[in-house]
Amino acid sequence: MDITTFGALSEPSRLRIVELLSTGPLMVGEIAERLQIRQPQASKHLKVLLEAGLVDVTAEANRRSYSLRVQPLREMDAWLDRYRRIWEDRYDALEDYLLKLQAANGNADEDSQRKPE
Amino acid sequence: MNKMTLKAEGNTLVLERVFPAPRKLVFQAFTDGEMLKHWWGPRGWELTFSRMDFRPGGSWHYCMKCVDKNQGDFFGMESWGKTVYEEVAGGEKFTGIDYFSDAEGIENTDMPPGRIMLFFEDVEGGTRVTNHTVYASAEALKSVIDMGMEQGVTETWDRLEEYVAAASKA
Repeated sequence: MDITTFGALSEPSRLRIVELLSTGPLMVGEIAERLQIRQPQASKHLKVLLEAGLVDVTAEANRRSYSLRVQPLREMDAWLDRYRRIWEDRYDALEDYLLKLQAANGNADEDSQRKPE
Repeated sequence: MNKMTLKAEGNTLVLERVFPAPRKLVFQAFTDGEMLKHWWGPRGWELTFSRMDFRPGGSWHYCMKCVDKNQGDFFGMESWGKTVYEEVAGGEKFTGIDYFSDAEGIENTDMPPGRIMLFFEDVEGGTRVTNHTVYASAEALKSVIDMGMEQGVTETWDRLEEYVAAASKA
């Protein structure tokens, strides 16, 4: 998981651009229009996304078309998914362990469970 | 099993879950080196080393080892970690910094540390544990989770895959 992916997506407009591009490639002007920002601003954001490897650019005639690169997003997705799964497993194991401990300690602990301290 | 929630609050990733046990016992399970051995390792991973010095300025040094042959390349892998405690309020909360480390307990400065805060509260049915972790990239993490990582994750990535498939045919 590349930390620059997170950095590039930390800005709301850039995140919106990624969402827009997920439906297909767009020109700078189209992106600016849909985000209701000025074209130079859109270009600035696209430059950051380009540097982070999140988009590709191709020249069509004299216009530049931007498309999404999925790989860094997949890596990020996998990272978060792993994070969630690790903690879910860990907490399931903790719950099992706590129940086991209380069962071993008998009824005294069940009382304290109902009325903690 | 109670449901775990994962969300982003400001710069912080927050995990929450209620455990059906008294607060004192739950707190102990998080702060006793021997008790941690029973549950801390993720599925297929065991805690093979756990040395706890639970006090402000003290630390927990541990090693997780993958013992599951089905985890392929991970099998046999050891992962050392170290938590350095800052604030400790018995039974209620503790804070610290989570590091990757080596077997000697030297902190790995190439990997970003996470600042952790754990809170333990009495609630109906047991104890609520709230686990805050602040990463250097948490602002971005929030945006990403907001983007639908939690609910819409499959749809979003399916859509992206369709797009990529179409794009590569063109």
